[in-house]
Amino acid sequence: MNPLLSVRNLTVRFGETTAVDDVSFDLPRGGALGIVGESGSGKSVTCRALMKLLPSVAKIDGAITFDGDDILGASEAKLNTLRGKRIAMIFQSPASHLDPLMRIGDQVAETLRKHTDLKGRAIQDEVLRLLDVVRIPDVQRCARAYPHELSGGMKQRAMIAGALACKPDLLLADEPTTALDATVQKSVLDLLAELRRTQGLSMIFVSHDLGAVARVCDDVLVMRKSKLVETGKIRDVIENPQHEYTQMLIASHPDRLRLHKPQDVARAAPLFEVKGVQIRYGGGSILDSLMGREGGFVAVKGASFSVQRGEALGIVGESGSGKTTLARSLVGLVKTAKGEILYEGSPAEPTGRNRAAYLRDVQLVYQHPYEALSPRICIRDAIGEPLRRHKLCSPKDIPAKVADLMQQVDLAPELGDRLPAQLSGGQCQRVAIARALAMDPRVLIADEVTSALDVTLQAQVMDLLIRLQKERGLTMIFISHDLAVIRRLCNSVIVMRQGEIVEAGPTADVFDSPTQDYTRTLIDAIPRLDAAPA
Amino acid sequence: MKSLRFIVSRMLQSVPVLFGVSIVTFLLMIATPGDPIRLLVGVRASEETIALIRDRYGLDDPILSQYFTYLGNLLQGDLGASLRFKVPVSDLVGQFYPVTLFLVVYSIILILPPVVVLSVWSAKRPNGLADQVIRVLGVMGLAIPVFWMALLLARFFGVTLGWFPVSGFGDTFIEHLHHLFLPALSTAIWVIPILTRNLRSALLDEMNRDYVLAGMSKGLGEAQVFRTHVFPNSVLPTLNLFAVIVAYLLGGSVIVETVYAVPGMGKLMVDSILARDYFVVQGATLVFALTTIVVMLAVDLISGLIDPRINT
Repeated sequence: MNPLLSVRNLTVRFGETTAVDDVSFDLPRGGALGIVGESGSGKSVTCRALMKLLPSVAKIDGAITFDGDDILGASEAKLNTLRGKRIAMIFQSPASHLDPLMRIGDQVAETLRKHTDLKGRAIQDEVLRLLDVVRIPDVQRCARAYPHELSGGMKQRAMIAGALACKPDLLLADEPTTALDATVQKSVLDLLAELRRTQGLSMIFVSHDLGAVARVCDDVLVMRKSKLVETGKIRDVIENPQHEYTQMLIASHPDRLRLHKPQDVARAAPLFEVKGVQIRYGGGSILDSLMGREGGFVAVKGASFSVQRGEALGIVGESGSGKTTLARSLVGLVKTAKGEILYEGSPAEPTGRNRAAYLRDVQLVYQHPYEALSPRICIRDAIGEPLRRHKLCSPKDIPAKVADLMQQVDLAPELGDRLPAQLSGGQCQRVAIARALAMDPRVLIADEVTSALDVTLQAQVMDLLIRLQKERGLTMIFISHDLAVIRRLCNSVIVMRQGEIVEAGPTADVFDSPTQDYTRTLIDAIPRLDAAPA
Repeated sequence: MKSLRFIVSRMLQSVPVLFGVSIVTFLLMIATPGDPIRLLVGVRASEETIALIRDRYGLDDPILSQYFTYLGNLLQGDLGASLRFKVPVSDLVGQFYPVTLFLVVYSIILILPPVVVLSVWSAKRPNGLADQVIRVLGVMGLAIPVFWMALLLARFFGVTLGWFPVSGFGDTFIEHLHHLFLPALSTAIWVIPILTRNLRSALLDEMNRDYVLAGMSKGLGEAQVFRTHVFPNSVLPTLNLFAVIVAYLLGGSVIVETVYAVPGMGKLMVDSILARDYFVVQGATLVFALTTIVVMLAVDLISGLIDPRINT
């Protein structure tokens, strides 16, 4: 039988750079193929080339045949009868791939209006049915909602509903779960696997996470630096990787990393003590005071915890659970409404007059490395900035100090003159860490530092943090929605849900015998390499 | 329900602005050099007459009580009387304001279609030939001062070719259109490039958004994606600039109305300033301010209609 999709010697060039280099593969009808690789490996470009959705500057060679039709040679008009109708696509960030000004229902209906003869009422009914297929609760409300009124997971479901509208033969999923929380990711993956079974959908699933691919696909392609390095059944590839890159990819998966034994902590007076902290956004308007209420939105409700010297504490929870807000309040980026923060036994005022001295001890590293660095300051100056600003050493010692810091985070000295845009995400995150270390802090708060990174880089940054903690005796507060990361790094963990701490304790206890269902859901959501396909 | 609350809250927000406007126009009178009574009674009136009239007009009252009298009159629509024409200022405004409004609306009608056509045309092929030509013409339109452009147009189309009258307003609607064509055109020539540049860059930004790719992946085709997704998203920033420009056009009417001798608010304002007709100046300022507030409010409401993220 002819394969549904056949790709031969696909090569895509953007000017001088080759984004995809001589890639060939087949997809049988009803099959599911995963494409795995780090960012910049050409996996997304490959995926887009299958629909010929590349900018006009791209030079495409090779052949793509979809059900007997030549894709690359087809006219735009011919392609538009295939796109959306027979080949559909879903994207990484549902927030930016949905038109903010159009109701969800209308965006789902677009494909129906274009490719089917349905009219008026029938379209409405079909949209509601599709939203129901992707398990959206309260479909009526959702169809009328605008994208900003829905959560990330709901938006991704709506996008999938739009893609399924014309019963396509092939679904291209370009990192559909990367921007989502672990729990939401799991539910979307389950949905895709189920749709595959029930709708007989063929699928190409692009991801940097082998664990996610393993949940949905039978076969896998591993790409690196625009080339195909390995193909095969996903089980075989995971259990018996041939190429050294695949071996590294699998070894970097949080599932396969050896558990790091966090250093023991002396039971003494805690370094940090947070007592009943409450944080609210908004509120306090004239109307609120007239009504005698507090108003606004409570992001953190009475959080209390303590951190020992040299300890690594993990804070986990879904997005919106208040973990980032809590971390920001520790460095005074957010004001607390109630409660107090004790540092070394005395009240710390992160927004008060003595904040400079306090913040020198407590440093925060942010989630998105590119956004946390000024795009126009070379990294040598970025790392040196706190030294200059706080006069931590004499001006002539700054270059040596910066070089020392760069060496500590494994950055090659010649990178010093580059701008953040000329570095990879992992390198930028190292710069951000080095900049925080310039203050010689005692506490490092890491807010989702690995979430925006590929698995291989994630593993490297984690190793770096473990080493720094050991060398410098740092106390760390580690915030993540990725429990595998927390498990690897932290002595103890607190679990947050909707602004409240629902569970806390030593990491091993919480992970092995969680008392809350919520914690269990979080743990179950970790994508595993050895899990059976859903 | 939610949009109603949005409308009401926006309207409530303009109340303090209105107060500010009334205070400023009131202070305008207080701070102007010269005694209005002198203008009213002439230079040869005796000191007693002046004292009598000052007392009658309440000019010896404390400033605060004068302000509240002024505010009370304003609320009843009483703007005072013109010293020159001896008629209520509100009558003058009623007579001159529609002309300016006609001119501004006429200008807007001449402005919007070319802005949309030119910016879409430029954005189709950025830095292509059309884009370059439109940019050069735009810079020229911006660089020529309005009064100079107005004079050139009046000279060429009005005097040399005789196609359009160079002054006045006419009596019928068709005559209005005929008379005000050149004034509206001179205004449009410098506004079109501003809005075109703004809309062009907004279009280019939006064309690179992710939802465009998503739309293409649905097989909608470039034309439909542009029409239904890119264009509505690009209009918002231009709309806000447009509001500022409309407000400016009202004030800017002073120049074109003077050049073309159009009997509108701008002309009334200039003539009244020259004749030291203070109450008319005060009334006209107030009307300009009110119109600006209404325009801004309207644009806010329209933005709220287009963008659901605003009215929450």
